[in-house]
Amino acid sequence: MNRADKIGYGVSGVLHVGAILWIVTGGQWFFPKKSEPVVISQVAVMSEQDFNALMASAPKDAPQPSPEPVAPTAPAAPPETPAPEAPAPETQATPEPKPQDLPDPAPEPDTQPDVAALQLPPAPAEVTEVPPQMLPPVEQPSETVTPEISAKPKPKPAPRVAPTPAPEPPPEAKISEQAQPQETPDETAPADKVVEQPKDAAAPPEATTEIVTEASETVDKQESSAPLSSPRPSGKPKPPAPKPTETAAAATPAAPKTDAPAKPVDTASVNDALAAALGGTGTGGTGNAPVGPPITAGEKDALIVDVKRCWNVGALSSDALRTTVTLSVDMQPDGHPIISSIKLVGSSGGSGAAVNQAFEAGKRAIVRCGSDGFPLPPEKYARWKTIEIDFNPEKMRMK
Amino acid sequence: MMRFVLSMLVALLLGPVAALAQDQEPLHITITDGVIEPLPFAIAGFIPETGDAGAMAGQITQVISSDLTGTGLFREIPSSAYIQNIASFDTPVKYSDWQAINAQALVVGSVAMQGGKVVVKFRLFDVFSGQQMGDGQQLAASPASWRRLAHKVADVIYSRITGEGPYFDSRVVFVSESGPKDARQKRLAVMDYDGANVTYLTDASTIVLAPRFSRDGTKVLYTTFETGFPRIKMLDVATASARLLPEVPGTMTFAPRFSPDGTKIVYSLEQNGNTDLWMMDVASGQTQRLTTSPSIETSPSFSPDGSRIVFESDRSGTQQLYIMSVQGGEATRISFGDGRYSTPVWSPRGDMIAFTKQNQGRFHIGVMRTDGSEERLLTSSFLDEGPTWSPNGRVIMFTRETPGAEGQASLYSVDISGRNLKKVPTPGPASDPAWSPLLP
Repeated sequence: MNRADKIGYGVSGVLHVGAILWIVTGGQWFFPKKSEPVVISQVAVMSEQDFNALMASAPKDAPQPSPEPVAPTAPAAPPETPAPEAPAPETQATPEPKPQDLPDPAPEPDTQPDVAALQLPPAPAEVTEVPPQMLPPVEQPSETVTPEISAKPKPKPAPRVAPTPAPEPPPEAKISEQAQPQETPDETAPADKVVEQPKDAAAPPEATTEIVTEASETVDKQESSAPLSSPRPSGKPKPPAPKPTETAAAATPAAPKTDAPAKPVDTASVNDALAAALGGTGTGGTGNAPVGPPITAGEKDALIVDVKRCWNVGALSSDALRTTVTLSVDMQPDGHPIISSIKLVGSSGGSGAAVNQAFEAGKRAIVRCGSDGFPLPPEKYARWKTIEIDFNPEKMRMK
Repeated sequence: MMRFVLSMLVALLLGPVAALAQDQEPLHITITDGVIEPLPFAIAGFIPETGDAGAMAGQITQVISSDLTGTGLFREIPSSAYIQNIASFDTPVKYSDWQAINAQALVVGSVAMQGGKVVVKFRLFDVFSGQQMGDGQQLAASPASWRRLAHKVADVIYSRITGEGPYFDSRVVFVSESGPKDARQKRLAVMDYDGANVTYLTDASTIVLAPRFSRDGTKVLYTTFETGFPRIKMLDVATASARLLPEVPGTMTFAPRFSPDGTKIVYSLEQNGNTDLWMMDVASGQTQRLTTSPSIETSPSFSPDGSRIVFESDRSGTQQLYIMSVQGGEATRISFGDGRYSTPVWSPRGDMIAFTKQNQGRFHIGVMRTDGSEERLLTSSFLDEGPTWSPNGRVIMFTRETPGAEGQASLYSVDISGRNLKKVPTPGPASDPAWSPLLP
């Protein structure tokens, strides 16, 4: 590096350092001056003709300005909301009538109506009669009969709709690809295993007015005897018991299905499978009550419809109609409410008396419509074992 | 990345807990609409406990039933449908029998004559809850006051079930009319709220208008034309004696109303074509001018606490409703709907104002909040006017007049919900009703 280069680098370095310092610190000494605020005035543009007309109409000899140009500056009071005048004080002399200066403030003598034309003497006396006297409360009755709300009689189970079942369709014949020799029945096999036992004569199945689904049948059985909790079944089913003879086993498939022993329905497994399929939580063998799939919106709506048809707010006070109450009720598995469990768990918007009235109205709705049982899915009992109901009369208020 | 992993871990840990908590939560539903229908009730007859109380027991039962069903909130189940026979006052109630006929409330009572007085005992039962509502009560009165006794019992039942204040044991003062329209005679009369026990307070020698009860029900203010000009008169109900209030000669005074404490009277005073509101101290006769507007101010009515006054004025060009302090001063307009508003009356509960509205050739009785909001028209006819509130602020009585030369005025009542519009029975044409407070 020669000397010229050194000088050049030095000058360049000094200048760069100076430039950087000026950029960093220069703003502290060189603040931009704030510009003066611009004052904006409203002006009206007047044409020359208007100005000449205005000058011509102005009184030239009048020393004081005409009141007309001033008038627009005073806005006229709106006709609908005039400011009322302040009432004159009692001592003010302005008002014309001066009732306080009455020459004779004494009341005028009574002008009794014509007594002969009156029909009144007895009645005023009745008005001033001693009012009815409230006596101490009466004694409680000796005993009241406890409510006898009998359970809704259950119809006799009738699994068939038609009195005579439809004939079973013949089993579909499968054509085997390989020809098999005809099997001859085993002569040594006991006849009673093959031959169907004669049935006792019985009445035809009873008909019902509605179709009972298999799920409901299963639930009915659960209501009657099955426990509410059941462990998950073992993972692998046991192998079937060895058939007595091949000939008997060969003959068994030919027997009608009704003769085969009914395979018990594993309700817990079905519920768990449904819960898993619908995203619910199964019991998983924990021993808890089977919760089943979640309550659907349709099932909720059905419950709402059933309760609201008994929620009568016609006799509620207007204060109670502004009160929302939340009631809690424990339910029986058959859909009937446990009346003694109905309690108030929350309220808003009303006085104590109004809350009480609203609570009683809600309680009456639960008791009345619950006497027939609410339409709730029994297999989801754990979901609605306890129900909380908000009674919000927002739509029923006087508007 | 680390945050994502942590979030996943937290979700995995808390997920089952949240799901379990959700399972244990009760099913929650919200009911926002129900039904509005009369509540069915049964009166198992008021059983006479003494031999001479038989006729009165039947009459008392009938009045109680009429009071309750007349509200439109209750429906009586005919006795022919009863299953259980209540033979005595202490007969145990078999709730299932009353549930079977859908009775939601049951009244059991008895009547006895003891020491020259009528003694009534009664109990009220909530049938579906299977329990008694409140304590049983007994009342006593002279035989002449048996109707008031029945009204008292009905008031207790009504209040326990609805939560509203009572109003059956009250009276109504009104103007009884007779004769053709062009020569109509008017006189003051007072009756029970249900039209019974009509008693006339003045004769038909002069026209009387707009009677108003004092808050204690012992006095009535009204406007009379006995001097040829409208003047205010105060009548003592007990003695039927009346006196003119002091006034300035050459003026007309009308539309009076008592303050809630009964110590002041607010009224309209007309002089030289201008009508303003004035207030008078009842004891001293001292007066105070409340308004000085060149317009017509009239029909003042106090708020229940006596601090404000609602009135009608045409200061805006049409009749509208305004509220101002009881000391006068600036008034606030509260009516802004179409048509003309008049005769405002403040509810005893203080939450609403009833009024007359004229719009498009029809008259209406309506209510609104004290700030003018939530205006509701309850009636509509050729001519409805002059509302007055029941003591509990739930029912409004007013005048309805039919059109034509043969048109007649009658008294009607309507629930503030707009339901249960019905005619109040009177001996003849009637107008200008004013409801008394609840009797002691």
